[in-house]
Amino acid sequence: MEYKVEAHRIMSISLGKIYNSRVQRGGIKLHKNLLVSLVLRSARQVYLRDYYGGICLSAQQAREWCEGEYMDSEQDKLVPGSTESLPESDGQSEVAVDKGEPINVVESPASLDVESQASGEQEHAENVILDSGCSDLKTTEESPEASATCEVSNVVTTISSNCISDPSPSNPKEATETPTDCQTDDSESVEENSHKPKVPRAYTNRKRSADDSELKDPLPKRTKVISPLLISKNDENKGETEEMDTSNVSSLITIFGSSFSGLLSSEDGAQPDSEVEDSDSGQICCDQMLKNLNPWSTAIVAF
Amino acid sequence: MLNPIQVLCSDITSLSLEPEPFASYTEADIISTVEFSHTGELLATGDKGGRVVIFQREPECKTEPYSQGEYNVYSTFQSHEPEFDYLKSLEIEEKINKIRWLPQQNAAHFLLSTNDKTVKLWKVSERDKRPEGYNLKDEEGRMKDLSTVTSLQVPVLKPMDLMVEVSPRRVFANAHTYHVNSISINSDHETYMSADDLRINLWHLGITDRSFNIVDIKPVNMEDLTEVITAAEFHPHHCNLLVYSSSKGTLRLCDMREAALCDKHSKLFEEPEDPSNRSFFSEIISSVSDVKFSHSGRYLLTRDYLTAKVWDLNMENKPLEIYQVHDYLRSKLCSLYENDCIFDKFECAWNGSDSVIMTGAYNNFFRMFDRNTNRDVTLEASRESSKPRAVLKPRRVCQGGKRRKDDISVDSLDFTKKILHTAWHPTENIIAIAATNNLYIFQDKLNQEMHG
Repeated sequence: MEYKVEAHRIMSISLGKIYNSRVQRGGIKLHKNLLVSLVLRSARQVYLRDYYGGICLSAQQAREWCEGEYMDSEQDKLVPGSTESLPESDGQSEVAVDKGEPINVVESPASLDVESQASGEQEHAENVILDSGCSDLKTTEESPEASATCEVSNVVTTISSNCISDPSPSNPKEATETPTDCQTDDSESVEENSHKPKVPRAYTNRKRSADDSELKDPLPKRTKVISPLLISKNDENKGETEEMDTSNVSSLITIFGSSFSGLLSSEDGAQPDSEVEDSDSGQICCDQMLKNLNPWSTAIVAF
Repeated sequence: MLNPIQVLCSDITSLSLEPEPFASYTEADIISTVEFSHTGELLATGDKGGRVVIFQREPECKTEPYSQGEYNVYSTFQSHEPEFDYLKSLEIEEKINKIRWLPQQNAAHFLLSTNDKTVKLWKVSERDKRPEGYNLKDEEGRMKDLSTVTSLQVPVLKPMDLMVEVSPRRVFANAHTYHVNSISINSDHETYMSADDLRINLWHLGITDRSFNIVDIKPVNMEDLTEVITAAEFHPHHCNLLVYSSSKGTLRLCDMREAALCDKHSKLFEEPEDPSNRSFFSEIISSVSDVKFSHSGRYLLTRDYLTAKVWDLNMENKPLEIYQVHDYLRSKLCSLYENDCIFDKFECAWNGSDSVIMTGAYNNFFRMFDRNTNRDVTLEASRESSKPRAVLKPRRVCQGGKRRKDDISVDSLDFTKKILHTAWHPTENIIAIAATNNLYIFQDKLNQEMHG
């Protein structure tokens, strides 16, 4: 739990540094920004690992929480979802396609699969699964359920470490194959997850549906820029380190959009003219993320 | 060397006219590099405002043995100006990143100074005579009325007040896309290299419109970037060998005889990471901020955020010696990351005999480690301790537990006072310490007779 708070704080600080580096005198310092992006990546890994531990526990204990707390309609969706998910975990395509069903349907097999990977295998695959799991959180319209699940996961993150250390019964081979499909199908929202914390997405959804629909607009633009890169990288099966760095820098690109590609291309010589106006969008994005942090941290305190 | 060090020449404030204790300084006054010449007679400092100040050591006076060896201002000039790259819409800082002296070959001195993009060769010469007795000009330089000229005379050189002239002889520009962090003069005294984040170029001192690229670690796709070059230096004796350090904590020794492009290293010096020390900031603190060959050419001295390491060129898998500079900061890395101190690039230095290494720390502390006796000392560069001929008192940072008098606790360290740049006289025990905008020069008096 503490690691998650710490990781979150470090992530927001890192993003602030990257943003400020763009307005510093003397141009962007490649060395410092590279180091900051490495810290951002490490913090994100820790954060996602902790989050996923919370998710898998929440899936197991979801029934206990739901009984007597939530409406019957939600219960009907959750319970059959969780029972159906187990035989479906062997199927690859079904996991990806099930967007219409409640979140838990996709989450529980994915979370079980992630358990095996969280114990130390490909971090890349883990990140991808998390992205896919959370993209379903984002895209579904059943936001109350999303928030419920996330609230549950918040509560159980304290014992997330136990979840991770348990040996997974699921088939590791299928687990590794699953993420690729999830990644392919959920590509449009992947990069958003890569730079935003997963848990507050519930709050993000509620807030967004309430007022912030306009803030959504800058993001889809950036997602299209990044998704082909991520897909191609995964398909080519590059080394783990390279993928981590790519997704890391790609996540930064999503924050700043074209102005960040200016960060890279400016080193070579071409500076996009749109940097000035994009700095505002960068600011908006930063503020947006930081805004989302606050309700999340409040939730932590509350639980 | 670990005898108490006496202060001979106390703080020379490099640019303020009246060095008051609490006078505020501008950012342009912050010293960004310090370098002794090859004989130690001259000491050059560069600052963030693009100025270079050269100090000269006063010749020893036999009658007064204690007044010898003081450094006084010799010359000041503006080396670099702020520039604007219109193509990239980037401002180029005038801050002097490095100064390197050329070995002296005649009466004049030459030095290379560089900012982020451009290297310049400066000639520093003295003029103490001037011609007098012109036929067509009078003493003030006005043209004479020809009717008053009745005889011809040959102008003669008459002594004048010493004047130091500094003139730019070469400008090596437009060769670096990224920020230049190091320059190093080859032992052949004809070529030198300049290193930026991703490339190292080899220049001839006489040719400014061409340079050879000898190291290029830029990946095809910049998104695959994992490390950058942080420092580079030529071997002091072998003109074909150079070393460069990376942000990943590795050192690469390259031999220019092997290939024209030295991307493939001859030797790779890397210490496996200790998994128990892993944290969010492991990568940052392993980044090497400075690398220096020993005078013998046998060893390498590197500085990362918390340690200084001595490597043997013959042993690649681990350093020969590791010195903890300020390990008490290991638990404070997160706050140091927040206030950007974790990105500070500390330099390191060897003494003339390669027996002692020196590096800076925070709170205006600097540390020396004696490699033979394994003893170390922490000293402070401050106005209070810099009265002439005052002996520097060893300082101690206490990390909890027993606290002695005059100890400083870790929490009361001033992280805005950092000693990033230090230099050691090539042969004597004289050190130059740059503390923000002040330059301190300390000398070891007691060993004076031994080292001569």
